[in-house]
Amino acid sequence: MSKALIWIFLLLLALLSPFVGIATLDIDTLLESGSLSNRIFFDLRLPRILLAFMVGGSLALAGLLFQTLFRNALMTPFTLGVSGGAVLGAGIAIKLGLGLTLGISAVSLFGFGGALFTIVLLILLSRYLLKARQESLLLLGIALSFFYSSALMVLFYLSSFTETATIMRFTMGSLSIVGYSNVIIISIASLFLLLLLWFKRFELQLLALSDEQAALKGINTRRLSYLLLLITSIIIGVVVSLTGPIGFIGLIIPHMVRRLYQKSVVSLIVPVFLIGGLFLLACDTLTRFLSSSSEIPIGVLTALIGGPFFIYLIISRQR
Amino acid sequence: MILSELSLAYGNTTVLDGIDLQTKRNFSILGANGSGKSTLAKALCGLIPYEGSILIDEQELRGMEPKERAKKIAYIPSKMQSFEQFTSVEEFVLLGRYPYKSSFKDYCDSDKKRVKEILEELNISSLAKSNLDALSSGQQQLVLISQALAQESDYIIFDEPTANLDPRNTQLFLQEFKKLRQNHTTVLITHDIQLASHLSDPVLFIKEKAAKFYESGFFEKEFLSLSYDVKFKNENGLIGIEYV
Repeated sequence: MSKALIWIFLLLLALLSPFVGIATLDIDTLLESGSLSNRIFFDLRLPRILLAFMVGGSLALAGLLFQTLFRNALMTPFTLGVSGGAVLGAGIAIKLGLGLTLGISAVSLFGFGGALFTIVLLILLSRYLLKARQESLLLLGIALSFFYSSALMVLFYLSSFTETATIMRFTMGSLSIVGYSNVIIISIASLFLLLLLWFKRFELQLLALSDEQAALKGINTRRLSYLLLLITSIIIGVVVSLTGPIGFIGLIIPHMVRRLYQKSVVSLIVPVFLIGGLFLLACDTLTRFLSSSSEIPIGVLTALIGGPFFIYLIISRQR
Repeated sequence: MILSELSLAYGNTTVLDGIDLQTKRNFSILGANGSGKSTLAKALCGLIPYEGSILIDEQELRGMEPKERAKKIAYIPSKMQSFEQFTSVEEFVLLGRYPYKSSFKDYCDSDKKRVKEILEELNISSLAKSNLDALSSGQQQLVLISQALAQESDYIIFDEPTANLDPRNTQLFLQEFKKLRQNHTTVLITHDIQLASHLSDPVLFIKEKAAKFYESGFFEKEFLSLSYDVKFKNENGLIGIEYV
């Protein structure tokens, strides 16, 4: 597949996106303020499109960063259990029936806490596993994911039917929002991540070779790696706490863009962000297109695409 | 380069204990597998902590700013490593200019021009757009040298550069190696006795955690046999192991 084709396909779906959904928009009254179409377009569809784009972009960038720093295509915040932590945190908040804390929803706050806890734990443990840190970290992430999903099962077991349903819905990921407040938070976080990685692109290029190479060229590798991991994880924590886990974007997109552009990380940062954003937007459009009565949760769709892709990735690595 | 009471550890085990060395010239580091040659090389590049003192041009290595250190010392590993398959030779060599690049800025045109010149000097301009993983071992070694040249460091440490090379590429390497010694001080880690004796640099020999510096006379077959615990022979001026 050529670059141009993928861009055209994604952009086309993006343009189509605001017009796909349960309610059909009336083009004539679209720009008439106060009309139903106008309100659906500006209060529901537009923020959702922005959200999908920003979330997709930041998840893909986070994947690119993790893969580059650990020099392993399977390393992403999700394979390392960060999303599992967020889900468990959110689940606990739902189970405890917590409402708003300091004006922020407790579910988001706990979700963020779970994600942050996981990454801090992984970083602390990785200090003791520096030699074999790639494989060990991946195994740790898998172990943590298992632990989290079992803990979640316990939570389900203890919860009422409604609580269980609410937690289940969170684990599926969702981009449905009303209004702009969350979109603004996530956009600021995503764009900050984009800028950060862009400014550090040459350092990332050296780190992609080896820690040794980077250190030999005058980079304080340890400080920079931990700093980038921490900031990125905080941003992913924010995203996951607001949308629920949307898996596999961080795994698929960097890999796809790398194949497509055949360039090193220094030239991939902007394409990964843009294609990641457009890809999630396309997935979101698809979920609304596929079912007319209720929407397939976005996290479910990305996992349905991502699962087989993950298998393909592992098999192609063997060759 | 002045080393005094230098001690190095690998994990919890002491690898080298109390090394003293003072030299202004090129030298080779020899020693058995696992004797600590590479550990010493890494310490000389500032990659691992050390006890004692390493003075390079009268500056303590430990206290140097990382970028300043990179301008002083370059290190060439025996094999190229990269996670990314799509890094071109040109890009890779340009990374040698990193210590000179101002933060948050792209490499400037003079950096790119320098890279072009170096690739021309080493006759590998045709590889400029090739990806790293498409290179042969011999080409890899030349590309690594190009990067070190781009780094413009006074000292270049070579870690077993000929370990993966065939005779033809060893010869090619040697040509470039000799050329760059006109402007750089080199430290050569090697098991290649013939190469080391051909260069006739002083030798730092590492054995049983200690290192001894030989200004000359190291390449006598009796002395080599004693040092390596293997019988050496010297036939028509060609030193080699006596195979049994």
